[in-house]
Amino acid sequence: MSANPETTLSTALPPPILDRGLLGWAHANLFSSRFNAALSILSAALLGAVAWFSLRWVIQDSDWTLIATLSGRLIIGPYNTEQACPGQDCFWRPQVSLLMVTTLLGMAWVAAGGGLTKRIAIGVTAVLAAFSLLPNGLEEMGMDVRLLLVANIPALALGWALARYTPLGTVRWIAILAVCTFAATLLLLGGREGVPGLQPVSVIHWGGLMLNLLLAVAGIALSFPIGIALALGRRSDLPVVKLLCVVFIEVFRGVPLITLLFMSQVLVPLAFPEDFPLNSLYRAAIVITLFSAAYMAENIRGGLQALHRGQTEAAQSLGLPNWQITLFITLPQAIRNVIPAIVGQFIALFKDTTLVYIIGMQDIVTYSRAFIQGNPEFIPSALELFIFLGLVFWIFTYSMSYISRQIEQNLGVGRR
Amino acid sequence: MDTETEQLSEDIIVCTDLHKWFGSFHVLRGITTSVKRGEKVVILGPSGSGKSTFIRTLNRLEEHQRGTIVVDGIELSNDVRNVDAIRSEVGMVFQQFNLFPHLTVMQNITLAPQKVRKWPRAQAEEVANELLTRVGIPEQAGKYPSELSGGQQQRVAIARALAMQPRIMLFDEPTSALDPEMINEVLDVMRELAHSGMTMLIVSHEIGFAREVADRIMMFDEGIIVEEGTAEEFFTNPKHDRAKEFLSKILS
Repeated sequence: MSANPETTLSTALPPPILDRGLLGWAHANLFSSRFNAALSILSAALLGAVAWFSLRWVIQDSDWTLIATLSGRLIIGPYNTEQACPGQDCFWRPQVSLLMVTTLLGMAWVAAGGGLTKRIAIGVTAVLAAFSLLPNGLEEMGMDVRLLLVANIPALALGWALARYTPLGTVRWIAILAVCTFAATLLLLGGREGVPGLQPVSVIHWGGLMLNLLLAVAGIALSFPIGIALALGRRSDLPVVKLLCVVFIEVFRGVPLITLLFMSQVLVPLAFPEDFPLNSLYRAAIVITLFSAAYMAENIRGGLQALHRGQTEAAQSLGLPNWQITLFITLPQAIRNVIPAIVGQFIALFKDTTLVYIIGMQDIVTYSRAFIQGNPEFIPSALELFIFLGLVFWIFTYSMSYISRQIEQNLGVGRR
Repeated sequence: MDTETEQLSEDIIVCTDLHKWFGSFHVLRGITTSVKRGEKVVILGPSGSGKSTFIRTLNRLEEHQRGTIVVDGIELSNDVRNVDAIRSEVGMVFQQFNLFPHLTVMQNITLAPQKVRKWPRAQAEEVANELLTRVGIPEQAGKYPSELSGGQQQRVAIARALAMQPRIMLFDEPTSALDPEMINEVLDVMRELAHSGMTMLIVSHEIGFAREVADRIMMFDEGIIVEEGTAEEFFTNPKHDRAKEFLSKILS
C-alpha cells in the first residue's frame, strides 16, 4: 500500500547515534561547533584551576577553629552575655523558642502529608540536635544547653503526634499556632520585669542569626499581605485609595533601605513621645516590612496585569461579586504567575536584614565583624569566618528557592 | 398548555434604542428588539458589526450608554445589585472558553453555585456531576482545563454556566476557536440544550446549526439589525441587500 515500505506507520526508528546517550549529550551541549568546542575546553581549564586552588586552600591553609570558637555566639549574638542578662543564664530562652518551632515543623509534616515538609522538618531537627555534639566554644557549653538542643528531637515527635492524634493537625491551626509561637518568642526573649527567671533583655542585645531570622520571618509574613493590599489598591477605581497606594509604593521603592532604617531611628523618636512603645527592633522590622511590601506590590500587580481579561469576564458572567472574583480567580492566578519574583523579594529581604548594623544592632555579620575587630588575634581567620557566613546565607536562600520550585511544581505552574 | 403558550409569548429580554460607543467609535447604533422566553435567536453578521458587543451588553460585560435593557423584568442600570441579579440568571459561553486554569473541572463548575447561590458543596457537586454527564464528559471532573481538548473545555464551560441554573444562555462564537473535528461535539450539546427549552442567544457562523435550531435569525451590520426573521425566510428569501451580500459570501 505504501510507496515507501521502510516508513509504514508501525516502524518507529531510533534516533541517530549522535543524538543519544553521553556522547550525544556532549556533542549537542559542548562540541556542537568548533567555536563551542573551544569555549568548552577553555571553561573546563578555568574551572579546573579555580577548583584546584580553592581545594588546596581549604585543605592546607585554612583554619576554621574560629567558627567553632564562636559557635553559639553566631546564632544568638550578645544575647546571653553578662551585659545583656546580668547574673542569669538566658541561653535557654531562644532554645525554648526553637523547641516550639520544631514542634510546629512536626505538625506541618503531618498536615502536608510528608514530602518536602517532612524532609525539612527532619533536616532542621537533625542539624539542631547535631549542634549539641560541637566542642566547646567561647565559653563552656553546659549540659543544659546540649540537652535543650537534643530536646528538639522529642519536640518534633510531639508536634507530629499532636497533629496526628488531635484536631490541631490542620493548616489553619498550624498557622494560628505559628503566629502564637512568634509572639511567644518575642515575649520570651524580651522577658518581663518581676517574673523570676525572665529578666528583661533589651533588644539592643538581641543579635546573631536569631536577629536576622526574626526580622526576616516578620518581614516575609507581613510584607506579603501588605503587598497584596497595595497592589489591589493601586488598581482600585477609588482615586484616593489609588493615589495613596501609588505614593506609598513609589516613596518606599525610591529611597534606599539604609536611609529608611536610619530615619526610623533618628526621626521617629523626634516625632513621637519618648515613651512611645516601639523600640528599635520593632521600628527596624516595620521599615524592612514596608520596604519589601512596596516591591511585593509591584510584583503582584505585574501578575494581575498578565491575566487575560476573559478570566474576570467569565467570573462576572457567573454573578460572582468583585471581591470574590479577586479572592478566588484573579489573585490566586496572579500570585502563581509571579512566585519566582516573590521568592526573589523574600531572599532580598532576608539578606537586607544584615543592614540593621546601621542602627547599631548586632546581626550575625555585624557581630562577627565586631568580634574580629575586638580580638585582633583572630584577624587571620576573618576570611574563613566570612566564607562561612556566606555559606550560612546561601543555605537559607537556596532552601527558599528550592521550596518555591517545589511549590511551583505542586501547583503545576506553567502547565495549567 | 395555556400557561406554556403564555410563557412562550412573554418577553424575557427587551432592548429599546440601545447605543454603545467604544471611545468615538459608534458600535451599537440603536438596537430595539425583544426575545421571548424559550426562543432561540442566532445572530449573524460580519466581524465588527457589533453582534458580540450586543450580547455582552445583556449581562453588562459592556456598559451601554443610551437606551434601556430589561432582562427578566429587571432593568440593567448602574445598580450593582441589579447587575449581579441579572448575571446570575444569564449564563454565558465564550469563544476562548475562559475556564479557570487553576481550578479543576469540578471546581470550575461548583465555584459560583457555592459562592453565589450558597449551595452546600455536596449539592453543588451533585449538580455538577449531572451536568458533566449531560455534556458527555463525566469522567473528567478531577482534571485541570489544560488537560482537556478544546471541545471538552467548551463543554465544561457550558456546564459551568448551566450550574447556576440560568434562564437565558448567551453564546459568543462558541465554536470559532475549535478545531473542525470538535465543533460538532459542542453543537450537539447546544442542540440538546435548545430542545430542553432554554432561551438562547447565539452569535455564530455555523449556518447549518442556525438553520436547524434558530427560531429567529438576526443579522447585524454596522451596529444595527439589518434583517430579522425566521431561519426559513432569512436563508431562502433575504430582503435586505446587505443580507443577500453576506449570505452569498458565507454560503459560497
